[in-house]
This record gives sequence, C-alpha cells and structure tokens, in this order.
Amino acid sequence: MSVGLQSMETDVVVLGAGPAGLAAAVSARSAGARVLLVEREDRVGGILKQCVHDGFGLEKFRERLTGPEYALREADAFRASGASLLTEAYVTSATRSGDSSFLLDCVSPRGVAQVRARALVMATGCRERTDRQVFIHGDRPAGIFTAGLAQYMVNVQGLLPGRRAVILGSGDIGLIMARRLTLEGVKVEGVYEIKSEPSGLARNVRQCLEDFGIPLYLSTTVTSVRGRRRVEGVTVAAVDGRSRPIPGTERELACDTLILSVGLIPENELAVSLGVPLDGATRGPRVDQNMHTLADGVFACGNAVHVNDLADYVSESGRVAGGAAAAWALGGPQARDLTPLRAGPGFLYAVPQFVDVLSGERGSVFFRSNATVAAGARVSLGAMKDDDRRELAAKTYPVLRPPELERLVLPPELPSGADSYILDMERMDGGGNDA
Amino acid sequence: MPETLNLTCIVCPRGCRLTVVKDGDAVSVSGHACPRGEAYGRQEAVCPLRSLTTTVRADGGARPRLAVRSSADLPLSRLLDAMAALDGVVVRAPVRAGDVVARDILGLGVDMLATDNLEEARHE
Amino acid sequence: MAKPRHVDKTRGSGAETGALPLAKALDKLRKAYGTGIELRDDRGSLALEGAVATWRDKIDAGWAAARFGYRGVVNDLAVPGLEPERLEPPGIKDCSLDGLAVDVAVIGGGVIGASVARELARWNLSIILIEKEYDVAVHTSGRNDGMIHDGFAAKPGTKKAWYNVRGNRLWGSWARELGVDFKRQGSLVLFRGRTSAAAYPLMASRAKENGVDGWEYWSRSRVRAEEPNASPGQHGGFFLPSAGSLSPYKATVAIAENAAANGVRVSFDTCVLGFDLESESIAAVRTNRGTFRARAVVNAAGNWADAVAGMAGDRFFSLHQRRGSDLILDVTTGVTQKHIMSMPSLFQAREKTKGGGLVLTPEGNILVGPTARELPGREDYATAPEEIRELERHLKVNVRLSLSHVITYFAGVRPCTYEEDFIVEPSQRVRNLVHAAGIQSPGLASAPAIAEDVSAMVVRVLERSMAVRPRADWKPHRLAPPELRRLPLEERARLIAANPRYGRIVCRCEEISEGEVRNALRSTLPVSSLDAVKRRTRAGMGRCHGGFCTPRVMEIVASETGTGLCDVLKKGEGSWMCAGPSKSGGRS
Ligand SMILES: Cc1cc2nc3c(=O)[nH]c(=O)nc-3n(C[C@H](O)[C@H](O)[C@H](O)COP(=O)(O)OP(=O)(O)OC[C@H]3O[C@@H](n4cnc5c(N)ncnc54)[C@H](O)[C@@H]3O)c2cc1C
Ligand SMILES: Cc1cc2nc3c(=O)[nH]c(=O)nc-3n(C[C@H](O)[C@H](O)[C@H](O)COP(=O)(O)OP(=O)(O)OC[C@H]3O[C@@H](n4cnc5c(N)ncnc54)[C@H](O)[C@@H]3O)c2cc1C
Ligand code: SF4
Repeated sequence: MSVGLQSMETDVVVLGAGPAGLAAAVSARSAGARVLLVEREDRVGGILKQCVHDGFGLEKFRERLTGPEYALREADAFRASGASLLTEAYVTSATRSGDSSFLLDCVSPRGVAQVRARALVMATGCRERTDRQVFIHGDRPAGIFTAGLAQYMVNVQGLLPGRRAVILGSGDIGLIMARRLTLEGVKVEGVYEIKSEPSGLARNVRQCLEDFGIPLYLSTTVTSVRGRRRVEGVTVAAVDGRSRPIPGTERELACDTLILSVGLIPENELAVSLGVPLDGATRGPRVDQNMHTLADGVFACGNAVHVNDLADYVSESGRVAGGAAAAWALGGPQARDLTPLRAGPGFLYAVPQFVDVLSGERGSVFFRSNATVAAGARVSLGAMKDDDRRELAAKTYPVLRPPELERLVLPPELPSGADSYILDMERMDGGGNDA
Repeated sequence: MPETLNLTCIVCPRGCRLTVVKDGDAVSVSGHACPRGEAYGRQEAVCPLRSLTTTVRADGGARPRLAVRSSADLPLSRLLDAMAALDGVVVRAPVRAGDVVARDILGLGVDMLATDNLEEARHE
Repeated sequence: MAKPRHVDKTRGSGAETGALPLAKALDKLRKAYGTGIELRDDRGSLALEGAVATWRDKIDAGWAAARFGYRGVVNDLAVPGLEPERLEPPGIKDCSLDGLAVDVAVIGGGVIGASVARELARWNLSIILIEKEYDVAVHTSGRNDGMIHDGFAAKPGTKKAWYNVRGNRLWGSWARELGVDFKRQGSLVLFRGRTSAAAYPLMASRAKENGVDGWEYWSRSRVRAEEPNASPGQHGGFFLPSAGSLSPYKATVAIAENAAANGVRVSFDTCVLGFDLESESIAAVRTNRGTFRARAVVNAAGNWADAVAGMAGDRFFSLHQRRGSDLILDVTTGVTQKHIMSMPSLFQAREKTKGGGLVLTPEGNILVGPTARELPGREDYATAPEEIRELERHLKVNVRLSLSHVITYFAGVRPCTYEEDFIVEPSQRVRNLVHAAGIQSPGLASAPAIAEDVSAMVVRVLERSMAVRPRADWKPHRLAPPELRRLPLEERARLIAANPRYGRIVCRCEEISEGEVRNALRSTLPVSSLDAVKRRTRAGMGRCHGGFCTPRVMEIVASETGTGLCDVLKKGEGSWMCAGPSKSGGRS
C-alpha cells in the first residue's frame, strides 16, 4: 500500500451521521453486523446540530427536545453500540465489486481509505433549493442566503447575515429563521410565499411569525433582486393561479438580505452513481418497507429518501434500514418479491413505493396529501387483484395538510398474490379531489 | 363581553385549531385533540408562555457559540428582554449539555441551560 | 496566410478618402432615424449627436454610420429616459500608488490586459496591471463560453479573423506553459438540410481565406457514428478540428498569476479616473489610489475602453453593448457528446453573432448559448426569462439534453464597436497610448495574438526613451496548483499525507479540499473574496451553489488573511457577507 492509502473491510457502511444514519448504525450493530459510519463533518448529529430550537423528539422520547439535545441522545446510543465511526471523511466514489460487495473511496485528512462492505445505507440527508433553481433574475450580490445557511451562520458561527431581511418561501426552516433572526435583533420585513398556503407547519406560522408580528404574504413572490455588491432591495409581486407574477402588483422593498426557504432536495448523488432509481415525486430512492432501494444491497433512510418534517420519523426509518442492511450483509442476498404500492388521487406521494411480500417486516406507509383537507379524510390501503380491491388497513385523519407527513400502520399480515397495493383517500365532506 | 380567540396549538406538530372563549375569569377551550391542548389554550388566554431557545457566546471552545434553552417557559412578552440580558453572558469551554449557563433570568425564576456539549478548542 | 494589410495600417487623420460627404450621411441617417440627429466630423471620426427615439434606433444609426467610410463612429445620440452611463469608481481611496513611476501601465484585468502584461513581462520593464475590481476576469472575461474558436466564422479580411486564427494556434503553447486545461475537441457545425449542406464549398473557401487550421466535410453517417446523440434532423456537418475550449476565468487567472510571478505589479480595486497630458503624451495616470507616472499606457478596459480613450482625449470610437446569456448544464451531460456542436439555421444569417450552440467544457459541463441582445448596461448581467426559452432550442441539437439539466445561467456583455471589429493599434493623438479595444467575441480566442502585437507596439513606444531588452529570468511556466478530485487515488493519498488539509473536503458538490482553497488565496495575486476563490477552485459552483461550503470557505479566508469572519467579502468592496457578530446588542 502506498503512503496514506489504507484498506478496510466491514459488513455495513452507513453514509451520513444525522439522526437517520445514527439510528441505522445502532440497529445494524445490534443485529450483529460490523458497522462503519462515515460522516463528512467533524461531529455527528447532521442538520440537528444547527437546529437550536425545540420541538424534536415528541414522538420518540415524549419530550420537547432541541435539535442538539436530540442529536446528543442519538450519539450516546451510537457510542454505546460499538459501531465504528470515521468523521471528516468524504466518500468520493462508490462502486459495486462482484455481486455481493461494494467498494468505497473515502477521503479524509488522515488519508484515503478503500472500504469494502456488503451493504450500504444511504443516510445523506438533503440539500436546499437555491435561487437559481427558482429562476430569480438579476445579478448575484452578497446577501442572498438559503435558510439553512443563515441558520448555520447565526447558530454555529455567531454571525448576523444582515440587518433587514426578506424571507422567500414559507418552509419550516424559513419560518424558524424568521423568529431566530428577530430574536437576534434583525428586522424581518415579511415572509413571501408563492403558493396560496404556507408550506411549513401551522404551529411554526403561529410561534415563529404571529408571536412576533411578522407578516406572511401568500400568493406573492420575489421577482428580482436589486444591488450590485450587496442586496439593496427586492421586488415582490402577487401571482396568479399559475404562479405567474401579475403585472401592476410589483412592490419595491428595501432590505439587505434575502433568505430563501424554497424547499429541500434529497441528496442522492452517490446512490444514483450506483444505479439506484429515484422517485420523481420524492426525489429520493424508491424503497420497499425495509428501506431497501431497487439496487440490491443499497438501503436508504431519513431525508435522503423523502423530506420528513419530524426527526422522530427519520430515526425510525434509520432503525428499519440498519436492521435490514445487517440482515442482508450477514445472511447474504435474499430473494425479494416486490409489489408496487401506489398513492391514489389526492396524495403528493407515499413511501414505501414497494412492498416485499417475502419479508416479514411490515412497518408503516408515510404519505402527504397534495392539498389541505380541512374536513378530514379516511385513508385506506387496498390490495388490488384483477380490479378487485381488498381493504387492508384504514385510518381517519381529522385534517390533512401537505406540510404534514402522516402515517398508516400496515397490518401484520399482507395477502400475497396482489398485483399492487393502493392508498386511497375518502374526504369526509364527500368532496372530490380537484388536484 | 366574551372574547373569542382563534389559535393554533403549538404543543405538538399536529397543530390543532383551537377556539378559546374568555368571559371575565371563565375560559373555555374547544378544538383540541388532547388535554395538553386545552391547557395551552387556557394559558394563552391569560398570559402566553414560550420556551426560549438561543445561543450564548463561548470562549475557548471549538465553536464561538453554545446552544441554550430556558429551563421553563417565559412570558412571550419578555423574550426579547431575555435575549438582551443574554447578550452579556459568556461561557467558558468545556461545557456539558444540561449545565446552567445563567441563573434566574430577569428574575423570572427561570435558568438557561446548555443544550449541547462544547469541547475546548483544539490547537492546530 | 499573410497579415491583412489593414491590420498594420496606420490611418491618416481626417476623413478617409472615399468617405461619404457629411451632408449626404446626415440626410441618410435623418431619413431612417429621425431629424433629431446631428453629425460632426470629429478629427476623422463621425460623431453622432442629438437624439433618437429608442435604443434600437441609436444602435442601428451607429451601424449605418459605420458604413460611410469614416475612421470610427462616436455615437453620442441621446435616448429619452436613458442617462448616459458613468464609470463608478470603487469607494476605496488611498495613496498607495502616489509617486510610483513605471514603464507601462496596463488598464484592465480581463484576458486582454492580463495577456498583454504577461507578454510585456518578457522585457526589462516595470509594469503595473490596473483593475478596478477585486480580481481579474470579473467582467466579460469571466462571463463567456470559453471557446477557442477556429477562426472560420469571422469575416475574411478583418482583424477578428487574423487574430483569432493566430490566437488559436498560440493557445496550444500558452495553455501548456500556464497549466491551463485546454481541449481541442473540434467544432461540428451541423447542416439542417440539403440546401445548407450544399454550402460546404463556400464554407471551405472561407475557412481557407481566413487561414483556419483544417476543416472537413462529414457525411450524415459519419456524424451519426461520431455523435450518436446529434439531432436526427442533421444532414452531415462541417468539422473544424482546431476549435477547443477552456475555462475563461481560470485561464485569465493563470495568465495574470504568471505575469505577477514575472514581476508585474497587480493593483486591484484601482480605477483609472483620468490622465495628466503633457505634449501629446500621458504624463501621469490618476486613480482612486493615487497618481503615478507611466512611460506607456495600454487601454484594455473592456466595456469602458471608449471612456478610457476619452480620458486621454482620443475618443475616436464608441462601444455598444451586446449582452449574451448562457445556460450551464450539469457535469453529467458532458459524456453525451464529444465535440462542440451547433446547428445554425440558414435564415439566421445574422452576421453580428455566431448564433450559439453547445460548448463542451474541459470540466464536462455543457454551455448552451450565447444569445445576443443589444441592450444598454455595460455591467448589467440581468438575464431574462425569454432568453431561457430562446436557448432551449439549442438543446435539440443533442437529443439527450433537456432543461432539467440546467444548474445555473449567466450573462456577459460584449464590448463592440460599430465597425464590429477589434481595435488594436497605437493612438494617433497620444504618443504613448496603445488601444486594445472593442474586443468582442472571439476576444478570448484571440487574446494571445493581440497580446503579441500590443506588446510589440508598446516596445516601439518605449524604445523612443529607453533601451528595451529581453529579461533573462522570464519564466513562461506556471506551476498549477493540484486539483485533487482529478488525481489518481494513490497520488491523492500521497498529497494528503504531506498536507492533511488536502483531505478535508469543504465543497461537497465539487469535492474541493481546504488545501486547494488555501492555495487559491496564496497565489501571486492578492485576492480574498469568496467569488475569487470560486473562480479558482469551483468551490460554490456545484448543485448547492455554496449552501454548504460558504461558511467553511469564509473561515479559511479569515484564517488566511488574518481578518475577522465579519470582514470576509463575496465580491470585493461593499459585498459584505454578514452584518456583525450576534449578541452585540442593538435590538430595538
Ligand atoms: C432547519 C430544520 C428545522 C427542522 N425542524 C424540525 C423540528 O422542529 N422538529 C422535528 O422533529 N424535525 C425538524 N426537522 C427535520 C429533521 O431535523 C430532519 O428531518 C433530520 O435532521 C434529517 O435527518 P437525516 O439524518 O436524514 O439528515 P441530516 O441530519 O441532514 O444528516 C445527514 C448527514 O449525512 C452527512 N453526509 C451527507 N453526504 C455525505 C457523504 N457523501 N459522505 C459523508 N457524510 C455525508 C451530512 O454531513 C449529515 O451529517 C428540521 C430540519 C431542518 C433542516
Ligand atoms: C456571452 C459571451 C460569450 C462569449 N464567448 C466567447 C467565446 O466562446 N470565445 C471567445 O473567444 N470570446 C467570447 N466572448 C468574448 C470575450 O469574452 C471577450 O472578447 C473578452 O473577454 C474581452 O476581454 P477584455 O479583457 O477586453 O474585457 P474584460 O474582461 O471586460 O476586461 C476589462 C477590464 O477592465 C476593467 N476596467 C474598465 N475600466 C477601467 C478603469 N477605468 N480602470 C481600471 N479598470 C478598468 C474592467 O473592470 C474589466 O475587468 C464572449 C462574450 C460574451 C459576452
Ligand atoms: S391539542 Fe393536543 S394534539 Fe392538538 S396540537 Fe395541541 S397538543 Fe397536539
């Protein structure tokens, strides 16, 4: 071996040490597998490290924890599990080697490691959508930040991104940053949302905006940015039903900072390089109930699969993925019989997209509605066989909102031989679905 | 004259829409899906309380700021005062999550606690 | 090919012989663009004064005037609602250049100014390169397609044609010496139908006339074999093997770094505001950072070259601005084609632009563009939604491309004279001034050749007052810093063992390490802005557009420059990244 180039071998490699990866590593280790967790930052915890606000863990710990507290608990469990950890390590390439293992090139300040593993768990989280992807025209002065970048600057670096901010997009991170910046003395002029409904949780609209008198403008967007060196202002305009700015409604706002909270995109470059197919709606890998992707031996969990609103759900998907990856690594490739699970009208998406009927594991279906159903709805899962629908599980939800991820627990026994499973929505007000 | 408040419950992510009717000292809450929501609605009618999560300056640590939280909820109207009071607080690394970083903030009987560990700075 | 006569031509003063008499010219212009126009013979140039109704009329009148046979067109036509643009100097004011005396001052840190400085550094001269921005390649030289054209498209007999073909040849050795990644993929111009295929003999004779290094006819099946993803509508193509591409900002940085390594002083945030003239010569150069003396001055001021000429009393031409936009496609698209490809429409026949296409970059991205729009704004880089739609049509040339591959888009502004040719010549009125102005496309491709000639002109000026000798210690080579993501694993491991900072990845999309960012900051050019780091390393250019790496790069900049995090700038003076530390009071 040449200088600084090492070889390693293990059963399961987990990529990313956020809540998803930590939970996956713990569960793979407790299933008896040798586990290596690889994280590119110098500390575990993922995005939670910078989420100093509280509201995490209500489901898993029944406590209202802050992000760092939630991460510390998961990190403690990880440390106790005996799995190995590589921090400040970046996987630059992942390839399949033979039919039952993978080879990863892993770069860190300690050198380059080539890691051989039998199963991979992708827990790489997500990245934020940027101004270029929402096509704001104009030059690029300083002062345009994604909400997560602003959050890192304020909470980790102790820097104020500006003095007067406009927030574009009402995603949760944007709402949380509206409050955070206000507490730190930054004037937040308003939150502008192109859609007719906020994209963040109702409680965040309440406690982050209304509590501080920050206005929320719906069906309004930022059309251009002014300023050469630093942002000097933005133009906002009302939009029509097809999200196009309505001429004559433009307003000039003075501000030195534009914060974008326009969505998150699952991070899957490495998974894609391994041939993992993605879902167009979630932009994450398509998985079965074991969080197994369509590429044998590659598992995925957390925000890399779809954007979760709760860290608790993320941890749960990590636990499932880690256990299944350990079983695959230790027991060798097993046959899978994948039956598609489709979301009917009224849903943005449902995860998992497949059920492996040969696997004993059941779990839950997570879904989002594509519009607010204020009257509530009954959501049911049916097994389809030659146009016959047999209901397997159902639950009534008092209200469905697109920002909120909901779950339907799968029954312990699934009939085999179904052509597909389908998730259906029956609105309590009897209304059809117009979307 | 009864006074009606329409609120979003913030106790859990479900975000129930509450209706709080206040008639003199009598407060009635509806729309909640659980008792925590009812308690929240009552409190909101009297004096809204919020937890405070923020950061304080740190010296000698691996990072320049430490994440902190209030040990109990504070009146919403005092959050910015509490922030101003915390401007002067500086902790010295190392700190463990749970350590008290400021006592009895604004005389409200609430402490500020570290929510993260902060190791000493490594010297390169 | 022989150098076209007019490249060396020193023009006489006064109207050229055969120029259209003033009265006739005025009549023609007034008929077409209104009676608000006045004309004047300004020492041989045609000066357009008065007013017209629209910007478009102003440009068209300028083009029409350029055909009347005068030395140049100075277009001062007013357009209602549009103020003439003024050069805005940086806010920095100090005396750092006061009292300095140099042999040559080169104005403009674009590819032209940098190349001229590099060429001049071969001689025993003291040289200063002056740039008003925080870095080189901030304007047009950092906002173009990076194509090193073959020289076929330029009109035969123009300076553009001559310098392009010569520049194309020189880029081979320049890229090697400078450690710049330059690939000659060749350019494939597809025929849209049988009629355009029939134009091949004409195209070949034009290529021959321009002295282009090679051309070939490719049949339909040859194209299909070489480029299986080319549009099925193709009817064969015209292939030009000498065309290639490089990163224009990396190349400009490399040229300037090499110039600096050879003793050229580079002064950023320095704007030339005027000249002190003495007996038809520039005696001193006035800037926001002091006044200094120079024996010779080169005007390579890009979109402000006419303004700089004016400061010396030598405004014999005007520039108009042709804005162009490009889409950048994700690096994964690079494998879907092997050559630079385009498929011009026959009726396009717009002589002012080459029409655009798909430029494969050495990094594996594809650039789609550029567009060409006559718009005011010398430094206005706003893009418009309709341009995205216009560019979408080029995507059809490669069937594997779609709008979903777009990661970002940008605009640049070409500095154009109304004659639509380069100006590369010594001033006729100021004895120690040389112009390299109106360097529109293909200015990047032509830069080394323009630099050769300008440098020779400057040496001739200087020889009047000093002995100019080659420098024995001139170093043509620049040691390019390593790009770790492109190295084999063993090599990477070895470098990390020697410097662990090469193992700390700070930009996750482009896989850039801390060590590479530090190298960029430690180069021979005094840069410290985030965009300067981005230009050199690509940190922040990937999918997340800096969402992840920005705070990390800020920390490295602060540690390298010894300033606080709050002093880090994005793109020079005034482009602050943060308003100050949190917890410092000031809450209302
Ligand atoms: C601003 C914000 C506010 C939120 N608020 C709440 C809330 O109030 N309540 C709540 O319950 N939930 C909240 N969430 C959701 C929750 O935090 C996230 O869903 C959760 O952190 C996602 O976990 P993850 O492990 O999938 O991803 P992450 O936490 O993002 O972790 C991914 C990890 O993978 C690493 N990684 C990625 N690629 C590589 C690679 N190639 N090599 C090595 N390492 C890699 C990253 O460095 C990172 O550490 C919030 C999320 C955000 C962003
Ligand atoms: C969209 C587009 C695509 C193009 N594609 C190609 C291509 O593929 N191939 C090709 O060969 N060409 C191309 N071009 C043309 C090419 O980019 C230009 O010809 C070339 O960059 C011009 O370089 P320059 O140094 O003259 O100008 P610039 O790069 O603009 O440099 C001039 C510099 O002078 C500075 N300056 C101005 N006034 C002052 C002052 N008073 N004091 C101090 N400094 C001053 C400016 O700040 C500027 O940095 C393209 C152009 C555009 C717009
Ligand atoms: S009422 Fe109960 S269930 Fe509803 S939001 Fe409040 S805490 Fe949650």
